[in-house]
Amino acid sequence: MSALLEVTGLTAAYGAVRVLHGIDLTVGENEIVAVLGANGAGKTTLLRALSGTVKAGGGVSFAGRSLAGTSAARIARGGLGHVPQGRGTFTGLTVEENIRLGIVSRPAATKGQADGDLDRIYGTFPVLQEMRRRPAGALSGGQQQMLALARALLARPRLLLIDEPSLGLAPLTSADMFSVLARLREEWSLSVLLAEQNARASLKVADRGVVLARGRVVAAAPAAELAADAGLRAAYLGESPDGLTEVAP
Amino acid sequence: MTEFLQQTVSGLTTGLVYAALALAIALVFQGTGTLNFAQGEFATLAAFVSFALSSAGLSWWLIVPVLVVLSFVFGAGVERLLVRPVEGSGPLALLTVTAALLLGTNAVTALIWGTDVRSMPSPFGDSVYRLGPLTFTAQALGGGALVVLAMLLCGLVFRFTPLGLRLRAVADNPDSAKLLGISTGVMLAVGWGIAAAVGAIAGLVAAPTLGLSPELMTNPLLLALAAATLGGFSSRLGAVVGGLLIGVLSNLASRYVPGIGGDLQLVVPFAVIFLVLLIRPQGLFGRASTVRA
Repeated sequence: MSALLEVTGLTAAYGAVRVLHGIDLTVGENEIVAVLGANGAGKTTLLRALSGTVKAGGGVSFAGRSLAGTSAARIARGGLGHVPQGRGTFTGLTVEENIRLGIVSRPAATKGQADGDLDRIYGTFPVLQEMRRRPAGALSGGQQQMLALARALLARPRLLLIDEPSLGLAPLTSADMFSVLARLREEWSLSVLLAEQNARASLKVADRGVVLARGRVVAAAPAAELAADAGLRAAYLGESPDGLTEVAP
Repeated sequence: MTEFLQQTVSGLTTGLVYAALALAIALVFQGTGTLNFAQGEFATLAAFVSFALSSAGLSWWLIVPVLVVLSFVFGAGVERLLVRPVEGSGPLALLTVTAALLLGTNAVTALIWGTDVRSMPSPFGDSVYRLGPLTFTAQALGGGALVVLAMLLCGLVFRFTPLGLRLRAVADNPDSAKLLGISTGVMLAVGWGIAAAVGAIAGLVAAPTLGLSPELMTNPLLLALAAATLGGFSSRLGAVVGGLLIGVLSNLASRYVPGIGGDLQLVVPFAVIFLVLLIRPQGLFGRASTVRA
């Protein structure tokens, strides 16, 4: 069976500056893949290229269909969700309206399960229920991250791209976030492509890891293997702050 | 006291026209992020079309819904064909396009119907009603009710329907809206369409009182811009309240402040706005950014 997401030779540039130099990557049905790498390695650009918010070259096939030339909105409607870096909450809308936006964006076939899904969301994130009448802009960073994730989940994607969910969060909040991510797959039957700087925590959650450096894949292996790799740790788990050391795959 | 009340009522009646036009301007501003200087001309054009339909013998019960639909299509079409192509070129390019639309629409209206002021019969008849010491014309009551209805409907759509939720999402954060599969282009066109429809009602209601000419909405446009500034461009309710305030204030000032009279009455609301902006630059109802870091 072919993978849910197949990326071959993906390139992307901002103006004349090439950011991605031919990325190959697959995400299987019900699989969690972590994309690791230092600042500027191209993680965010990779996710944006996949969701169609950055122009890209190369091949992307999702659920058997090529995404070349497809608009971001159409890609999203096809079941590819994206929780962007900086969360992308609708700050002028209430928490509840943000959540309803997820529900109205889901495929018609899953409309009947909306109430059950909403209960599940409020079970996972009780704070969102408490705050539902507040403007989303008044939430704390951690709460906004939860809201962004909740909204994306309620749209019932088959594959969810999550960009740096722990960025700027306090350590405890960040730990909460990862424990939620670990349960996502069972509860929502989806695949996840998780871009994170926190390699240790994300490799605990993921099945496989892909390491990016300067816009190229420098390592791809099962999560446990990557976590045990001392050379990688030196380069990507913070022991080498410049993060520029290339590691042989 | 009676006269004061009567003046207030009369100010509210004109204020409703400003309010509806200000609402239309705020709707476009929230979606596209630009001022549509042609919003008043769209309304004038709608008033002429309704005049033509009425002259052709159509009943007003038919004209109003037809006008709303035509205006919606016109507004959405203008966004799609003339505004969208320059969207990426920055706010100044957009402003230039809407200014060109103002001149163009005005010229077309003048070309078809001439520049003479015509008297347009009120859709509501010429009766006068008395409530205690106050008098109301049928035009004021009916026109007021029609504008209020249009604004209420617009508010309900935005507040309580999935379409309204999507429209507000696109206005709030277009990038995130795309990630939820919302076609921002379609929503912007719909926003322009709704704005044009609300503005059309304003034009239809203003014409019998102000006289039908290509200059029908020239002053109301300025006052509506002022109203939106006063209430806050980011608030639909603010634009409406701003319109009513300006209608009442200018009416009362021309009656009670010596030396102002009819010619200078426009100065008063602008003085008020100046003061408001000194104290609250985001307008009375506008939101200063509430985003936490």
